[in-house]
Amino acid sequence: MTSLPITLTINGHRHELEVEPRVTLLDALRDRLGLTGTKKGCDHGQCGACTVHVDGERVLACLTLAAQAEGRTVTTIEGLAREGELHPVQAAFLEQDAFQCGYCTTGQIMSAVACIREGHAGSDEEIREYMAGNLCRCGAYPHIVAAVRQAALEVQS
Amino acid sequence: MTVHNIRVGESKRGDASDGALAQTVGGRLSRVDGPAKITGAAKYAVEQQLEGLAYAVLVESTIASGKVRAIDTTAVQAAPGVLQVLTPETIISLKTASDWFGTPPPDKPYCPLARDITFSGQHVAAVVAETFEQAVAAAALVKVSYDETPSIVDLSDGKAGDGIPIDAMTKEWGDAQAAFASAPVRICAAYNTPREYQAPMEPHGLIARWEGDQLTVWEPSQWLDGMARTYAEWFGVPFENVRLVSPYIGGGFGSKALALGHGAVAACAAKMLGRPVRLVMTRPQTFTGYGGRAATRQTVTIGADTQGKIQSIVHRGINETSIDGMWVEPLGSVTSIMYATPNFSSKQNVVRVNSVVPGAMRAPGENPSAFGIESAIDELAYEVGIDPLEIRLRNYAEQDPEAKKAWSTRQLREAFAVGAERFGWARRTPEPRSMRDGNQLIGWGVAAGTYPVRRAYGEAIVRILADGSVEVESSSIDMGQGTYTILAQTAAETVGVHADDVVVKLGDSHFPRAGVAGGSRLAGVMTGAVYKAAISALDQLVGLAISDPRSPFHALQANTLVVANGRIASPRGDGPDVSIAELLKSVGRDHIEATGDTMPANSTAEDRYKNYTTIAMALPHTEGDYSRHSWCAHFIEVRVDEDFGTVRVSRVVSALDSGRLYNPKLAESQWKGGIIMGIGQALLEEGIVDRRHGRIVNNNLADYLVPTNADIPDIEVISVGIPDLHSSVLGGKGVGELAIVGVAPAIANAVFHATGKRIRDLPITLEKLI
Repeated sequence: MTSLPITLTINGHRHELEVEPRVTLLDALRDRLGLTGTKKGCDHGQCGACTVHVDGERVLACLTLAAQAEGRTVTTIEGLAREGELHPVQAAFLEQDAFQCGYCTTGQIMSAVACIREGHAGSDEEIREYMAGNLCRCGAYPHIVAAVRQAALEVQS
Repeated sequence: MTVHNIRVGESKRGDASDGALAQTVGGRLSRVDGPAKITGAAKYAVEQQLEGLAYAVLVESTIASGKVRAIDTTAVQAAPGVLQVLTPETIISLKTASDWFGTPPPDKPYCPLARDITFSGQHVAAVVAETFEQAVAAAALVKVSYDETPSIVDLSDGKAGDGIPIDAMTKEWGDAQAAFASAPVRICAAYNTPREYQAPMEPHGLIARWEGDQLTVWEPSQWLDGMARTYAEWFGVPFENVRLVSPYIGGGFGSKALALGHGAVAACAAKMLGRPVRLVMTRPQTFTGYGGRAATRQTVTIGADTQGKIQSIVHRGINETSIDGMWVEPLGSVTSIMYATPNFSSKQNVVRVNSVVPGAMRAPGENPSAFGIESAIDELAYEVGIDPLEIRLRNYAEQDPEAKKAWSTRQLREAFAVGAERFGWARRTPEPRSMRDGNQLIGWGVAAGTYPVRRAYGEAIVRILADGSVEVESSSIDMGQGTYTILAQTAAETVGVHADDVVVKLGDSHFPRAGVAGGSRLAGVMTGAVYKAAISALDQLVGLAISDPRSPFHALQANTLVVANGRIASPRGDGPDVSIAELLKSVGRDHIEATGDTMPANSTAEDRYKNYTTIAMALPHTEGDYSRHSWCAHFIEVRVDEDFGTVRVSRVVSALDSGRLYNPKLAESQWKGGIIMGIGQALLEEGIVDRRHGRIVNNNLADYLVPTNADIPDIEVISVGIPDLHSSVLGGKGVGELAIVGVAPAIANAVFHATGKRIRDLPITLEKLI
């Protein structure tokens, strides 16, 4: 299969890549660019561990081809903290102990940032519903809800 | 080397609970590995970026029973990027390794790729290519033909039979059959649990790299030393030649404790190719690449008097195992200890089916065992017309009924009392279908859980460094239980520094040894080892301060000194007050180092090897004068839609006795996680077998339903434990496995209260209710 040259803008940095058209954004991030903060849990869009932002919206990197992200703005977990300051969602996850093994966590955080931005963090029930696409087998859900609730208040204030 | 070594103080914490009090054992310190995990900096095992990495993909059998007739790899060899095709014919030969008890293996070769097929999804070939995408595409071109034979798909298969009696599981006292026959109240029921899967979010996989006869394996592992032993035995190299690296583990729940066939395939490929090889299972492969929880069947009969006092329990159980492997899920483990009974009998068989050999999943044994007895006692409560909480107190076991020994600690009565109070149990109306909210039937259920305290030995190094910070090293692991954090707290409190100034390094088999992170034993084992090493390092530090002529304390002629907040001073407050760093500088030392272990003093090198690489030396929980267990009581509310039969868990209050908690913040998280996995077990989780081919048809995260955020209400957990020094050096008992035990029966009992329907077959899905 012929490789094609693409340029990806990730966390504000431009990356030139030669990839086959079938390479997913997830594998490009993890295997080609060393950005392993985005996790692979199922590779089929079922678990949410690979959630990143493309043009500010949450997408599953395993269901997105790398080539589809060309010309768009990609943000991964590595680009969330600004100048060493944790994003309010990250700080809330730590404070509320909203994770255990940590493997779904980066996807949860990217989803939570978008969930708040979408205006879907208005109540615990709404948070549960709009965070339901991110599985956590350690069972941190009640603490994830608490963290998103806390961060939503901080972001809005 | 990549291990977790972020200093807590280097990142913004922003948590008031991380103050001085949080830093010691028992404090609510936030996870010290948290900053790495929330920023994406934490590199999990297969995320190492290595030069020349090649990618392997497995090919699996599509029949459940028979023989591989031929494997046609012609098209594969011609596919772009393919470096190697492994089949039973081309893969290098390995030696059979010993099992986890250390039993010497049969002297025969081991091939991780099968010619004889005993289950669907067995590894039969593997393809290695330059890129992951090329390996995936080429693996799809492997053509395998089979001679298929009839298979036994599961326990309900007519060919399955009654199985093999496991005599070691038999527990009997009194005359249970006669006492049952003469009891005025008798209940008898059968309880079933299906195949369930650990489904950790991080799929199993590894990177294997050979340098000469030295093998490095980056692999998520609950047991570095045990897995290193297996790799060493497979390849016939010394144990020291194998290094397992596992800095973070994306969930295990029992499934990542052993080296498995896919690991052997990757290590063979790396050796044959002379390049590092990465192999990660696809999510569907994780349903057959190792075993989940075995399907189980139990019958529980209880004979009681008219006041609900138990006179006899007769229990029979079976679990499935594989055609050529043996897994025993101890189904009588809770049945035999939860309630006082003068007469008891429990026996168990295992039944061979065409499945991968089942494995450990969160509280193996105790979990399905509790579903049986904790459902049955609820049935008895209704039979005699007694409150389900009251009947549990009426049959409270004041000592271990099986071992006839005192409990080390058993705060179960307290758990019932505190849980009932917080839940509001007294407001429950006993009649089924008597509580409702519109078209929702409301049910309140209670059940107890327990898990034994498994004890073993561990070792650790504690170093006090020139800058006054402290470093801890151990080959134990953190898969989310909080090992990094509680060991930092233990070293901090013992040496007398802040936890912020402790760096804990785990997950490398070249560090001091540790046994398996399983059976909820690691925290108790490793806090003990770090405590001993830290005491020894502190003694050295104080000794130097008192006796070294260059020390500012030398003239003081003190017997001892106090170390606190990283500073050394006289206990009387007279004399100098210097930092640890200043003292080490004054005496010309760049560090102090101490190794501590909890092994018996006369242990030989062979004892140590056996202790850390097998489970043969674990201490029985009934050793000596006491019987040691964790305990819990779950109070759960369900809402059942009367028209649709959908069940939602709407409220959970659980009171738990895990002894002393080393870090309540993290222990509460583990408890809630166990409860949530229990909700999945009760309502959602079931491996569905295709009856024609013996395949798990829902072998993915969209069809094997684990709980989502929207399935889970807020959960209240309450600690009722007290320090138990018979169980561990610092007084803790097990945390991680306990909380799942008893959740499923509490939900089944609540569903009965809501609907009047007793569901004895998990999961409780809507078609069973309408």
